[in-house]
Amino acid sequence: MIDSDVKLRKNPNTAFRTLAAGEGGVLLHLESGEYHGVNDIGCMVWQLIDGERTVADVVDAVRSEVEDPPDALADDVTRFIEDMRERDLLLA
Amino acid sequence: MSGSCFGFAPVSDLSFEYLRDGDGDALEIGEREGTVDDAGGALINEWTPIPERRSWARLYEDGGRYRLWIEGSGSFHIDPCIPRVELPLGLESAVKREERLWGIPALLCFLGRSDHPLHAAAVEVNGETILLAAPGYAGKTTLAAGFAAAGHRVLSEDVSCLRFSSRPMLVPGPAMLRVRQDVAGRLEIPGASEVAAGDDRAHYSLDRASRGNCSPVPIRAFVLLRHAEQGIRLERVSPVDALRELWPLSFRLPTLQDRARCFQGVTALVDAIPVWNLYRPLRLDLLGDVVRRIAADV
Repeated sequence: MIDSDVKLRKNPNTAFRTLAAGEGGVLLHLESGEYHGVNDIGCMVWQLIDGERTVADVVDAVRSEVEDPPDALADDVTRFIEDMRERDLLLA
Repeated sequence: MSGSCFGFAPVSDLSFEYLRDGDGDALEIGEREGTVDDAGGALINEWTPIPERRSWARLYEDGGRYRLWIEGSGSFHIDPCIPRVELPLGLESAVKREERLWGIPALLCFLGRSDHPLHAAAVEVNGETILLAAPGYAGKTTLAAGFAAAGHRVLSEDVSCLRFSSRPMLVPGPAMLRVRQDVAGRLEIPGASEVAAGDDRAHYSLDRASRGNCSPVPIRAFVLLRHAEQGIRLERVSPVDALRELWPLSFRLPTLQDRARCFQGVTALVDAIPVWNLYRPLRLDLLGDVVRRIAADV
């Protein structure tokens, strides 16, 4: 679990690219060579991580961008961020 | 000497069989004494013998210059900055020497020019490139030969040079086809002449009329070759699934910088170019049907 006051930082040894509309994007861990497909919300989360925002900040920012956000949005975004940290894509 | 390959015009006293018409960036090519024990550089890649590649090879890097050692051939010295390739003296024949040249040594030179190397064959259909991608022994060359037999231009046989511009392009490679002997005996390729043999492949040089020039050709589609027991069918592949297939076929150096370069290149390609799975039986009597299906539907 990431502490609520921790500012999320990307691992600098990653590469990211969005794909065509509706196709999401792809993240590559440059050291391990592992890559991960992410959906459009995942792309939005990745682009919101700037070294300043916390998990709650990211959740709020996503909620403000999404039309009719689902009830589970906060849990989904938090789980996604935890997953990125476990894959060493985030340094939080 | 005139002609070019992968956008390079050789500057050399050596003779070449597989060049296409037209000009290109100067590539110095010479020969050099050397032994398999040439020292220097850090080992950055190694190719161990497998059924479709029987030679052991090692790639060393030293300050941006490379040395490729190939078992039975010797050491190739490559400086992409000039660019220059020095071939080992005493290779078995001029044709085999040139085939080695247009493999990893040329690839390292066009990588240094910021082009993208991909393990794929390429053919031209109506002025556009269709890339035939698959690991070794999946029928790339046989299918490319099928396109040649049907009157299409073969742009690359094994290594393809991709260039990013407003539209991705392919820079044509050597005008050669190394076809399995059992296929060569049953497939007539108009204008192709056999220039070497001795292994399990017939080595063909394409004639002047069919090889054309080395100008980049826009890319229409990737086709990933799959085996099916029966029927020929094409299915679109999502960009993320296409990335999974094309990533291992893209050459990259073992550095973070080059992995990032390769990633940006492959993702740009799968984003811009439609990728198809082709399922077909591996039967020569159906080769013409497969070629017609691809040419018509991708």
